[in-house]
This record gives sequence, C-alpha cells and structure tokens, in this order.
Amino acid sequence: MTERFSEGTGTSVIGGAERRTSRSLASLFLPIAGIGAVLALVPLWLGDSRVLMGVAVLGLAYACYTIGFNLIFGSTGQLFLCVGALAGIGGYGSAILAETVGLPIPMAVLLATLAAGLIGGLLSWIAVRRSLGVIFTGVVTLIFALAFENLLLGLTDLTGGDGGFLIGAGSESFLRRQIPPYYLMLTLALGFLVIHGLLRRSHIGWAFRALRDDELAAELAGVDVARYRVYAAVVGSAMLGMAGGLYALTEGRISPTTFGFAQVDVVVLVMLAFGGIGTLFGPILGAVAFTVIDELLIDLGQLRVLVYGALILMLFLWIPRGVIPTIAGLIRRRGPSG
Amino acid sequence: MTANILDGIVLGLQFGLLAAGLTLVYGLGGVLNLAYGQMAVVSAMVVLFSMDADVPALPAIGLGVLAGGLSGLILDLTVLRPVYRLWGEARVLLSLLLTLGVAFVVDGFLNWQYPQAGLTLRIGGGPVEILGVPMRAGSLVASAVTLLAMAALLVFFRATTLGRAVRSVIEDQEGARLVGIDPHRMLRLILILSGVLAALVAVTRSMVAPVTVTAGFGLTVNALIVTVVGGLGSVPGALLAGILLGIINTIAASYIGTFLSLIILLTAAALTILIRPSGLLGVSE
Amino acid sequence: MLEVIDLSAGYEGGDVVNQIDFHVDEGEAVMIIGSNGAGKTTLFRSLIGLHRLSSGKVLFEGEDIASMPAQRIVRLGISFVPAERHLFPRMSVQENLVLGAYPKRPDTETIELVMALFPRLAERRRQHAGTMSGGEQQMLAVGRALMAKPRLIVLDEPTTGLAPKLAAEAYEALGVLRQRGLTILVAEQQVPLAMQLSDRGYVIENGAIRMEGTSAELAQNPEVRHAYLGVV
Repeated sequence: MTERFSEGTGTSVIGGAERRTSRSLASLFLPIAGIGAVLALVPLWLGDSRVLMGVAVLGLAYACYTIGFNLIFGSTGQLFLCVGALAGIGGYGSAILAETVGLPIPMAVLLATLAAGLIGGLLSWIAVRRSLGVIFTGVVTLIFALAFENLLLGLTDLTGGDGGFLIGAGSESFLRRQIPPYYLMLTLALGFLVIHGLLRRSHIGWAFRALRDDELAAELAGVDVARYRVYAAVVGSAMLGMAGGLYALTEGRISPTTFGFAQVDVVVLVMLAFGGIGTLFGPILGAVAFTVIDELLIDLGQLRVLVYGALILMLFLWIPRGVIPTIAGLIRRRGPSG
Repeated sequence: MTANILDGIVLGLQFGLLAAGLTLVYGLGGVLNLAYGQMAVVSAMVVLFSMDADVPALPAIGLGVLAGGLSGLILDLTVLRPVYRLWGEARVLLSLLLTLGVAFVVDGFLNWQYPQAGLTLRIGGGPVEILGVPMRAGSLVASAVTLLAMAALLVFFRATTLGRAVRSVIEDQEGARLVGIDPHRMLRLILILSGVLAALVAVTRSMVAPVTVTAGFGLTVNALIVTVVGGLGSVPGALLAGILLGIINTIAASYIGTFLSLIILLTAAALTILIRPSGLLGVSE
Repeated sequence: MLEVIDLSAGYEGGDVVNQIDFHVDEGEAVMIIGSNGAGKTTLFRSLIGLHRLSSGKVLFEGEDIASMPAQRIVRLGISFVPAERHLFPRMSVQENLVLGAYPKRPDTETIELVMALFPRLAERRRQHAGTMSGGEQQMLAVGRALMAKPRLIVLDEPTTGLAPKLAAEAYEALGVLRQRGLTILVAEQQVPLAMQLSDRGYVIENGAIRMEGTSAELAQNPEVRHAYLGVV
C-alpha cells in the first residue's frame, strides 16, 4: 500500500485545530484555573459517597493519563499503545518501592515516575532509530503492554499476581481519606495541563506542530525530529508514571487489570479522540465525559461494552476530529459572515 | 520435543491462516480491521446455533463460513464507507477506530446475550501417530483443513486471473486502475475472503479447543502480531510467521510455563519487527 | 476520436490547467509539448480519470468520459502509460503483460507483437519488473498498455530517465504502432523525437495552450525552436 492519491487527503482524525501563535500566559492560565475551579466543586456535591468520590478520583487519573498520551500521540504522532503499562510502571513501581522496599512515599513515586519516563523515552528512541511508522510503533508498544501485563501476572512473589497488591504504606495518611486524593489528582491534572500548555507555546511546541504537519519539511527546516519525539515521549511517559503511582497510593490496592490494555489504553484513546487529539483541553473534556457516561452505564454489565462500541462508532462517524476541533471549526465558519 | 513442534505447527497453521485475512485487507486497502476476531466468533456462533437447531455438522459449518463472508461484506458496505474517503495514515487510524467500535458492539452483545457460549466440534476417532507422537483426530483434521485452505489461497493468488488482479492492487494501486481493475471491488472481495478465512479458523480451532464468545479480542491481537511479523500485505509471510510463532509458543510454554512463554513469544515478535520492520517476507519500502 | 473541451483541473490551491481545448483524430499522432510544470501531467491524469476535473468535457468517440474513473476509461479503448510507469514490481514481465489484458485473457497475437517490438522483454519474461532497468521498465509499461488492444494510447513523457539510444528505440516502436493504425497522444519534453513521430502538436505553457499546428509548422516556429529545440 504505497499510493497516496493527490486528490486531497479528506478529513483527518488528527485535528489540532488551535493554530494560534503565542499569546499571553494569562490566556493559558485563566482557562486552566477556570476548569480547576469548576472541578474543585465536585466534592461538595459527591463528597458523601466513598464510591462516587472513588469514581471521581479515577476519572481524574484517566484525565492525567489522557494528557500524557496526548503529549505523546497528539503532539508528535507516536501511537503508544502502552499507556496502561507506563502508568503501571508508575503504579507498581511506587507500590513496590514504598511497600516492599520501604522507601518514603515521595521518593518511591519520584523513582517510579523516572522509570516510566525513561522506558517511554527508550521505546520512542527505538521507534525513531528503526524509523517505525505509526502502525509499527503501535504494534511494538502493544507488545510491550501485553508483555508487561503478563509480567505482572507472572511474577507473583513481587507483584501479587492476579490477586493484586495491597499497599500498606501511606494507609494512615491523607492519601487514603475520602476527599484529599481528589484534590491531589486534580492538582496533578491541572499541573500537567500547565506543562503541556507551556510546551505548546515554546519553541518545543512549534517543533511538535511542524513535525506533525509534515515530517519531511520539518527535517529540512532543521527540526531534529528524532530528538523532539523522544522528548515528548519522556515527558508524557513520566506524566503517566506519576499519575499511575499516585493513583495506586490513593487506592491502596492495585492489580494487573488496573493498568491493563483494555482498561486503560482503549479508554484513553477514546477519551482523547472525543475531546480532540492534539488540543490542550480535549483530554479533560474526554475524561469528564466518559467518566460520567461510564458511571451512568454501570448497571448494564456486559451491555456497557456494547454501548461503548456504539458511542465510539457515533463519535467517529460524526465528529471524527473530536469535539473541540469540530466546535472550533463551526465557530470559524460562522464567524466571518457574522 | 517433537510433540511440541507438531503441536506448534497445528497452532501455527491457525495463526497463519487467521493472519492471512488481516494482512490481505491491510495490504490491499490500507484498512486495519480490529473487528476481525469478532468475525471469527460470530461465525462460530452461527455454527453453534445451527447445530443446536439440529442442522447437521457440515451444512452448519457451511452456514458459519457464509456468515463470515457476509460479515466482511457488511463491514465494507457500512462502517468502512467513510474510511474510503481517506488515504494513508488517516485511513488506517479511522478504520482502526471504527472497527474497534464494531468489535465492542459485537463483543458486548454476544457476551451479554449468550454468556459462556462456546463452539466445540468433536471429531471422532482415536489418536493417530505422527512421527511417534499421538495426535488427536481433531488436531489432524483441523490442520488438514487449514493446509488445504492455505494451498487454495496460494493457488488463487498465483494462478487465477482474479487472484493476480488482487495482487496487482497490492503491488501498485494506480497501475491496477490503469489496466482496468477497480481497487474498491477488489477490496470488497478481499474483505469477504477475510471473513471466510476467519470463519474457517474458528471452525478448525473448535476442533482442538472450545471457541468461546470471549475469544474475539485475543484472536485479533494474535492475528495482528503475526501479520506484522510476517510483513504487512504478505500472505506467505503471514503463513510463515504464524507457523514460527506457533512453534515458539508451544515450545516455550512446555519448557517454561504460560506467563513467561507468552512474554518470550511477544519478545520474539517485537525483535522481528525491530530487526526487520518490513516483516519476514514483506517488501522494504 | 478524442475531444477535450474547456478542461480545467488542479489542486486545492487552484487550477493548474485552465480551459484547455484540443483534439486527436483517428489514426493521428499528436504531441503535447511544454517544459516542466507546464501542466502536461495534470492534463493527462485528468483525461484518463486519475484526477478530478474542475470543469470541462472529455469526449472519447462521442462519449463524455470526464467523470469516469480510470478503471472504466481504460476499458473503453484508451490505454495510458504514466511517467512513473506504475508497473507491478514483484510480478514478472509475463504477469505484468497478462494483467494488461484484464479482464480478458491475453491474446497471443498481441503478446507476440509486444515481444517483437521489444526483444529485450522477450529475454526477460520471468524477471520481476522491479528489478529491471529504466529502459526495460518503460518498454514493459508500453507493452502492458498495448495488451488491452487500445484504439488510443496516451503516453506521458515516455523518455523520462532513458538514455538517448533507448529513447530513440522507444519512439521507433511507437512509429511502428502508428503505421499499424494506433492513434497516439504523447506528452514530451524531449521534443525532437516527438516531432518526428507526430502529425500535429500543441504547445502548453502555464496550464494553457499557447500554440498549435502541424509538426512541420511548429518545427519552423522560432519560439518553439528556441525553447524546445535548442536552437539559439
């Protein structure tokens, strides 16, 4: 399959509708602060229910995962299908370091985050060195994800295998209470948004956009595509690791399915695609939307999978670029004519 | 050891034939069909329900194969239509996402409506000795059918006008158009064919082990890995990679144990992709 | 036989060829000459259904083929040999030729004709097309186009990348085909060869026809001589 017809490329799934040149920092911080303020109110409403707060915390964890994935895939086009595994490196890493090795929690999380970042960077470096295209990167990272999941299941002495891993460390602290974990994850998510936003406005962000739009042209313009890809992968993977680690510690108990491919990667992909791949706020929008939808569907059992499938179909048949780019497109079209 | 290799070949033939369907669709149409495993499961269910309705085995299998082909046609006529307007990477991504949606819909429905349903085809007759290893009749029949199907495929592509036409589209789509071949019609044909192959694999697999409603995604991932290792778009590559990976799988499993053996298999696959991204028999672009 | 009326075609940025009119009568050999970027390839690709027209009509023996896809047009009796040839690299010379006749079975007479015109292909019947030299590939591309027994053959810069000797051989073969009654439309940058073959020609510049006339007329035209025949 080597042909690419010259009659235009049609509508692509990757939107990235926001093509603005640098704006003031306020225009970055204000929306983020706004989102933060709104989301900060959630415990006022759900705070009584341990279950619902748990769902909210999980939702924020997914938001963090999606932001990380967005940085890797949306910014530099690397289809990493090992999001769950990278989060799992953070999660299991932190858990084992804190519980089995006995390190203080902040250090455990830090080390696990570094590990995730390094491994993600390594995967990206390999993909770059071997000039792997999107499909191949996807398959290789998928293989990594599956191998990692099997590793977790197999090394029962270390990880507790199928039965899960109980994390005693931190059980006395604020991490296991009902509401503080929510604000912890919220801070993390907002922080990630800030990092992503700042990156976009920097020369690094410019390089990302250039290499995503036309890799060859970017190379010719002097952009070291390889280096920027690896940067994006390292930062994004570190985000995944940190989110996974902190989430694990707030839950107190993790199992291979917490970070499995079906549970994390597929969901994150859909969340991001819904919000808008490559946009800044797409991940948050997607995470909120699907957390709510998931909660509404919780009673349906297996039917949930069917409904998810139907949602995915409707999503990609009608708004393939994601909600934010589609709305931005509509606004732009209405704009000039008044 | 011989037992392992033979078992590995039985497994590998299945892997290979399954992957052949997936690789054809990708090689010809640039479409990644993640609902492939579900096509196999649906076929298996059709066979199961037919037999439950007292349809004798062979016609039931026929119905299953028909169902497989039909599912391919349905995909082409419905979900894939927006995909055809795109090209290259955008096409792969959208096809991936839309077929994933279909996979969920089908998988969710089947698991909700018929949880724990599974097809098992019992082949009578005691074990037969091959090279000193007793092989179950089911494995042998499954392998024979798979080999026949593979041979038929290869003959089709090498020696028939239609088969050559299909190959030409994989070789150079524009060139194919210039000799009067309609790439879309060929893709439709190949989608139907891939459904038939999926059905055949499901049926033959059920002679060796039950094919349950939950098997869908596992089959797809399997097929995908074998496809990539064999070389995207290469049927001989898929067949070869399938057999190799099948053998590695069984040898590793018997000497090391399931978890680690899976990891070894996955690592072997990853290494092949990394060392030779175009696959075992693919074309270096 | 072929009439192009008011054809415009291009890409998202705008039309590359604008309101082109020309015609090719049965039995003629017509050339379209112009430099790189003049629009020859876009014109031909639009004609043959590989590229969408912005506007205009293309009549082949009275039928408007402007909106037909390439795979339909080539079954009406027109064959196209693109500049990039688009052969099937991992298929043999034989297989490439056989496919040229799709969906019909290949006609032995035609195969023999192709082998006679291009003896080098006869020597390499089982060789994979992708492993052949540029000149051999060009011959194969023309041979494949002939397998469908077209009434009109359209060639886009057939001498691209060919050494002068091979280019001359290619045009010799076209001359033979011409004498057998095949109608030929060829786009060329290497004008002298095309001029020898053709009855008439059009000069295309910046997407529009600037000049037309018989080959003899064009050969005398000072601008043509200067721009395309290397005469100072």
